[in-house]
Amino acid sequence: MRCARCQAPLEHGDIRCPVCAFPSEVVVAGEAAVMKVLRCPECNAALAYSAEKQNAACGFCGCVMKVEEPIDPIETPSARLPLLVQAGQAKASLRRWLSTRGFFTPGDLATAATVDTIHPLWWAAWVCDAKATVSWAADSNAASRRSDWAPHSGKHTLEWSNLVVPATRGLSAHETNVLTSRYDVSRLEPVPDGAAQVEQFDVQRSAARKTVIEAIERDAAERLKGGSIPGNRFRNVHVSALLEGLTTRRLAFPAWVLAYRFNGKLYRAVVHGQQSDVVIGTSPISWAKVALVGLGVLVAIALIAVAVRQFG
Amino acid sequence: MEAVQTFRCEGCGAALSLRASERTQVCVYCASPNVVAGALDATRQEPRFCIPHAQGEKLARQALADWKKKLGFFSHQGVRGARLENFKGVYAPGVLYSAIARARYDVSIGEEYYVTETYTTTENGKTVTRTRRVKKHEWVPLSGEYEAYATDLVVSASSGIPNEELEAIEPFDFRGLRRYSPGLVAGWTVETPSRSEGDCLGLARTELQGVVDRRLREFMPGDTFSDLRSTTRIEHESAAALLVPLWVLALKYDEQKPALRVLINGQTGKTSAKVPWSWPRLIAVAVIVLVVLAFGIAASLVQR
Repeated sequence: MRCARCQAPLEHGDIRCPVCAFPSEVVVAGEAAVMKVLRCPECNAALAYSAEKQNAACGFCGCVMKVEEPIDPIETPSARLPLLVQAGQAKASLRRWLSTRGFFTPGDLATAATVDTIHPLWWAAWVCDAKATVSWAADSNAASRRSDWAPHSGKHTLEWSNLVVPATRGLSAHETNVLTSRYDVSRLEPVPDGAAQVEQFDVQRSAARKTVIEAIERDAAERLKGGSIPGNRFRNVHVSALLEGLTTRRLAFPAWVLAYRFNGKLYRAVVHGQQSDVVIGTSPISWAKVALVGLGVLVAIALIAVAVRQFG
Repeated sequence: MEAVQTFRCEGCGAALSLRASERTQVCVYCASPNVVAGALDATRQEPRFCIPHAQGEKLARQALADWKKKLGFFSHQGVRGARLENFKGVYAPGVLYSAIARARYDVSIGEEYYVTETYTTTENGKTVTRTRRVKKHEWVPLSGEYEAYATDLVVSASSGIPNEELEAIEPFDFRGLRRYSPGLVAGWTVETPSRSEGDCLGLARTELQGVVDRRLREFMPGDTFSDLRSTTRIEHESAAALLVPLWVLALKYDEQKPALRVLINGQTGKTSAKVPWSWPRLIAVAVIVLVVLAFGIAASLVQR
C-alpha cells in the first residue's frame, strides 16, 4: 500500500505516512451513535482507560486490555549482502595496504605488523530510492561583485537509486564513505537467525525515517553543488526536498574488521567484504622520518637565507 | 441552548443524557464508563487519531506545582495564593493537519563586504589621518520557490479553547499518536468538536502560513535580508479529527472575575495560563520608582 499523497510505501503499523504524514486509511461513513461499554475479557467488569498503564484496564481483576499499541519497532536488516572476501584474502589485503602507506610510516610496517584479531561484520544501512523536487537557495561566487558572494535560487528534480545511508555505530562515517560505493546491492541473501556479526540498527522506525530524510537532503545539497548551483565556491546552501515515492530497504553490508599490532600498539583496519582492494584504517607514523624531514627543511631554509644574504 | 441526546447505558439500561459536546459518560447508577460509538452528529466524523494521556493525576499535580513556583512577583495574588485542586483530565477535540506548501518569494539579500576608509582624527592635539575597515552590505534582489511538506500541525476544534492557548502547551510527541479507539478514552471526559470544520481549516492554514514564513526566513542565503514577500499555494491538504490529552483547571482566584483557565499538556506536563497582573504591586513599584526618580532629580537640582 502506498501513501495517497507522496507515494511512499506504507508498512504494517503505519497510521500515517512516514514522509508526508498523510493519514493512511480512508474514513468510512460513521454509523448511528450508540453507547458502548468496554468489557473485561476476564471478569466482564467495565473497563476504563488507565493513563498509568497506557491501556484500558479493569479496576476489579487488574486485567489490562490490549488496545492497539503504536508500532515503532527497532529496525532490523531484512537481508544482507554476501561476504565474498575470505579471511586469508583480507589479511593479504591488509599487508599490501600497509606496504603502500607512504614515506612517513615505518619501513618495516608491512613485515613487522602482526594481525591480532580478524572478524567479519555486517554493518547496517538503509538503501533508498526516491524522487524529489528540490527547491534551493544558496550563496556562491558566481555573479559576485563587491562582496565575495552572490545569492542564487532554483528548483530541480533529483532522483536517487540505491543511496546508502549508514546506520552503523561500529564504523565511522569516514570508513563507511570509503566502503559504500563498491558494494553490489543487487545480490542479497537472507540474514541467518541469531547471526551475531550482523549489526542491528539500534534506532526505532520513527527515528530512522528522520535520519533517512536528512541524509537525502544532505546528498541533494552535495549534488546541487556539483553543477546546478552556478559557481565553484558555496555557502548557506539550503535545500527543501519534496520527496515522492521514497522506498527504504534495510540491509547489512559485509566487511572484515582487523586489529593489528606494531611495536606493541594496536591499530585498526577495515577491509571491504566484497572488494578486497578497498582497505581503510589507521597506521603508525615514523616520528624519526618526520623529524629528519623537518630538520632537512630547516637546513634548506637556513641555506637559502644565507645564500640570499650573500648574493642578494 | 446545547442539544441533548438520550442514550441507554450499556451496563444497566438507564437513560443517559449527553450534551452535544460530550462523547463519554460514567453512568450514575452502575458506574459503567460509557463511550459513544459512531458519529454523534451526521456532519462530523468520529475521531480518527488520539494522543493518549501519558500519566494520571500525578502529572497534573506536579505540573501545577512547578507552574505555581514560576509565577512572578507581579502575578495576581489570588492566583499565587490559590489552592490548585479540582483539575480534570479531558480529551479535547483537535484537528491534525498537514499539506504541501508551495511558496514563491521575492527578497532583497544583503551580502557583506568590507571597504577601507580614510578618516582624520585628533591625537595628542594633532590632526592625523588614519584608515579603518568598514563592513557594508551589497543588496541583491532574489526570487525563488520553496516547496515542502508541512506536517504535525494541531489546531483546537473546541470553541472553549482558543487556538493560541493550545499552541502554548504544544508540542505533542507524535510518536505516541494512536488510531482512535474507545478503549483509550473510556472513563475520561471527551469533548466533541464545537468549532466548525471550516473554521478549523482556516486556523490550520494560518498556522501553516506561520510555519512557511518561519522556514523561509531560515531558508534565505546571504548575511542578512530584507523585504521578504511571499505567496503560498496549499495543496493536498489533510485534516483529521484528533483527540488531545489535557488537564484543565478552572481557577477561581477572584469572586468578581471569571475563572482563570490553566491548561496542562496531558502527555508532557507543559502548563500555560494567561495569569492576570497584580495591579496593587504594579502600582506600588511604579510609585517607588517615581519617588526615587523624583528624589534623584531634586538632589541633582539642589547640588547645582
